[in-house]
Amino acid sequence: MSIKTLEKVRKRLEERPEELKRAREDGRKVVGWVGYNVPEEIIHALGFIPVRIAVGGDDRLVEVGARYASSKTCVFIREIVGAFAENQDPFIQQTDFLAFDATCLQNYRAAEVIEYFFKKDVVVLGVPRNFDWDEAKQYFAHEANEFTRLLEERAEAPLDASRLAESVALYNDIRKTLKSIYVFQAAKDNVISWEEVYDLIQAGELLDKQEYLSLLQQTLAELQELQQNPVIEGDDGNSRLFISGSLIPRGDRKLIGIIKSVGGRIVGDDLWSGILPHLDLDIKEISPAGVALAYLNRTPHAALPYLDLASDKRLKKLHELLSESKAQGVIYHTLRYCDPFTFKAKETKNVLAKSGIPLLEIHTEYAGSDYEAMKTRVEAFVEMIKIKSEITEEEGVLADA
Amino acid sequence: MGTQLFRYSEDNKEKFLESDNITFNDGSVVTPEEIWHYLTVEGPEKYPGSFEVNLYQGNRASRDETLPTSLKTHYLGLTFSDRMEKAKDRGKSIAFIQGGQAVDPYTAADTIALRPGLVNQWYGGLEHGNDINKANLRRRKSKEKAFHDMSFEACQTGGYEHVQEGDLRIDVIAPYTVLRCSDVSYGVEAHRHGPKKDVKLFNVDYPLRYQADKPWAIEYFAQNLRRLVGTLDEVTGRVTTEEDVTKAIQLHNEGRRLGTELAELWWSADVPPTNSADRASLVALGNLEVHGDVQASLSVLKEAKKFIAERVRNGVKGHAVIDNPKRIFILGSCVGINGSRSEDAGAIVVGRDDQWSHCTSLVEEEGDPYYNLAKTTLEYPYEQSIEKRAHWTIEQIRKSRADGVIFIHNWGCNTQAAVARPIVDIIKRETGIPTYIHELELGGLQHEQEQNRVNAFIEML
Repeated sequence: MSIKTLEKVRKRLEERPEELKRAREDGRKVVGWVGYNVPEEIIHALGFIPVRIAVGGDDRLVEVGARYASSKTCVFIREIVGAFAENQDPFIQQTDFLAFDATCLQNYRAAEVIEYFFKKDVVVLGVPRNFDWDEAKQYFAHEANEFTRLLEERAEAPLDASRLAESVALYNDIRKTLKSIYVFQAAKDNVISWEEVYDLIQAGELLDKQEYLSLLQQTLAELQELQQNPVIEGDDGNSRLFISGSLIPRGDRKLIGIIKSVGGRIVGDDLWSGILPHLDLDIKEISPAGVALAYLNRTPHAALPYLDLASDKRLKKLHELLSESKAQGVIYHTLRYCDPFTFKAKETKNVLAKSGIPLLEIHTEYAGSDYEAMKTRVEAFVEMIKIKSEITEEEGVLADA
Repeated sequence: MGTQLFRYSEDNKEKFLESDNITFNDGSVVTPEEIWHYLTVEGPEKYPGSFEVNLYQGNRASRDETLPTSLKTHYLGLTFSDRMEKAKDRGKSIAFIQGGQAVDPYTAADTIALRPGLVNQWYGGLEHGNDINKANLRRRKSKEKAFHDMSFEACQTGGYEHVQEGDLRIDVIAPYTVLRCSDVSYGVEAHRHGPKKDVKLFNVDYPLRYQADKPWAIEYFAQNLRRLVGTLDEVTGRVTTEEDVTKAIQLHNEGRRLGTELAELWWSADVPPTNSADRASLVALGNLEVHGDVQASLSVLKEAKKFIAERVRNGVKGHAVIDNPKRIFILGSCVGINGSRSEDAGAIVVGRDDQWSHCTSLVEEEGDPYYNLAKTTLEYPYEQSIEKRAHWTIEQIRKSRADGVIFIHNWGCNTQAAVARPIVDIIKRETGIPTYIHELELGGLQHEQEQNRVNAFIEML
């Protein structure tokens, strides 16, 4: 069973670079953004076309990027730098300027390196690490205002409050629709897979936002027609897996492909490149600071340190999503030199173990040389979960008898 | 065959005994006689590795026996671990901090601030009788614990391996995070899952991107410093006033001024007045934190300046320095090259950007001390944009009359590694001086392949 709208989305993605080119010829500007706390609504409200720069999976570009940003920088950032060096990516080619945030220090370094070597105009939004302090929120509000001022300079127009309100409403609708769609992939007898939803989420990083909302609504309508009441059940006969850890951007489907190939079923994620940024974003005030603070108040990115394990919102959210998706195990994906996530791998494993949820860390990069090694480990993990599930079922039967 | 140990010659004793005492924070004093005894009797017994005649010892004392302050920094280094233990026994509070930051707020709050290298030194000194290899193996073993609990890709581990194992009595982990390093903030966070729950954790959040030009960034960082001092006070039980902070600024400004003057004096000499190791150890005194005792550092620094001035006046060349050595400037965090082996190859290290950046940053003494500290800290040249940092570095390179520049980053140090190439590119373009980028293993002995690259560079120069 296939969702027809997904075909439309794929087609529109193919057409998008040409469309951006024409838009630029008509005087529109394209902003490439990189980060976790970039308030995209502000970019959109100023009349820019936002596209997210998130590419992965190409070890050749990683090598190219290493010439500029060193081989010790995380794989994802190296590939981004490599992509700017080669300037062959159709979306990167269309960017007029870039917006980065300083959530992850390596992200920030990438902004500096791209600015220096490739002479790109870069606007950077500072992000506080003590993000739960009131003083940090004040600092971030100032940063959001400064970020807006720099964008206004480039737009040669001030930010209009009503336009911002419209953008916020549009993005809120997108987030709401995405959340509704996301439930379907985790449901029993699902008519859409997590992989398809993941691609759909990432399509939104590139497509026109208004059109994207319409495509999402069409997708949701199709799903509702095919499956009126999606129910998420834990014992559906699959190894229900959750993906956490470092982002998995467009172009990188190595791990996802392996999980599928060994019979694992992904039912949820808390990836920076997945559903997580779309959750819990509650904009209380229509202003640059109001929008930015709503971003900061979401589940924090792992690059922002938090010193009390018991009240960590990131771990709390992970537990919540695991419970909602009824996942039986977590595959924790860490990219080479992605410190925000690698430093927390063992801790996350220990925390989840207390709830009886197994975690497998897969540490990888974009080369294909570790494919078989990863496959063996994932296959064993999937098998372990199946056996565990069968034992639990048998124990349940015996208890009933 | 037994290991050959270096011994200070009795020929220099008389001159050394004429030098000054060292005065410590607690008012205690150690005389040159006591120092001489330690360096010739107690020290070699406790720490034979430090006296080992071994090519692979990168940071060994200089062996310049005619420079009394060289012996004194050696003494302060060797007694570091014992002094920290005694300080703890007396109830003194100790904080883990970041390298590359000044320690004025910690001094104000009556807390000893130790950067990662010093924490490792404290741990290293707890076990006696080790040769170089044994001491290094012990350090590596301890580091493995941190790698296991965090990430094997970590460069900095926030002292996790020592604090969480209960080896060191550190009260609070409170570095300026993100300043020049990202690993340390993850290292601080990692302590939250360790078994030691009584260690306080605090992030002093250093904002990024044109931070020194933004009033709100300065105010935010000042607020971080206020909260830092509040946290340190919770440990000590005292109340640190703004006046205490101002006094600490004045004290540290004195160190920074003296350190800067000493370095400039050294640079002004026609022939290098000391070798690489002595230059580094004396200039490092300027930040006053290097030996875990600001007064001790200050007293040696004052004396060192007099000795260096005398050597420059008389055209005295440093110990083991060849005629017309190639002058090398080192860039990067927590790094260095093997001074003595590089000298053997015909070079001398004439400067570093790390530690020097904040030594040259004087803090305004009038007005809100937290605001002043915040402003100066956000202006550290090392922490500015690529272009700005490179241009400040070029100024230092020119002042030091360097012939070559090496940017070194440790394995896993993505923050510095990422900007190594653009920075050396600018330096090369604007000065024409040869440069190269070098990767180092933090905490390793100075490996042959690393030195081989350095020597090839020196030969090329």
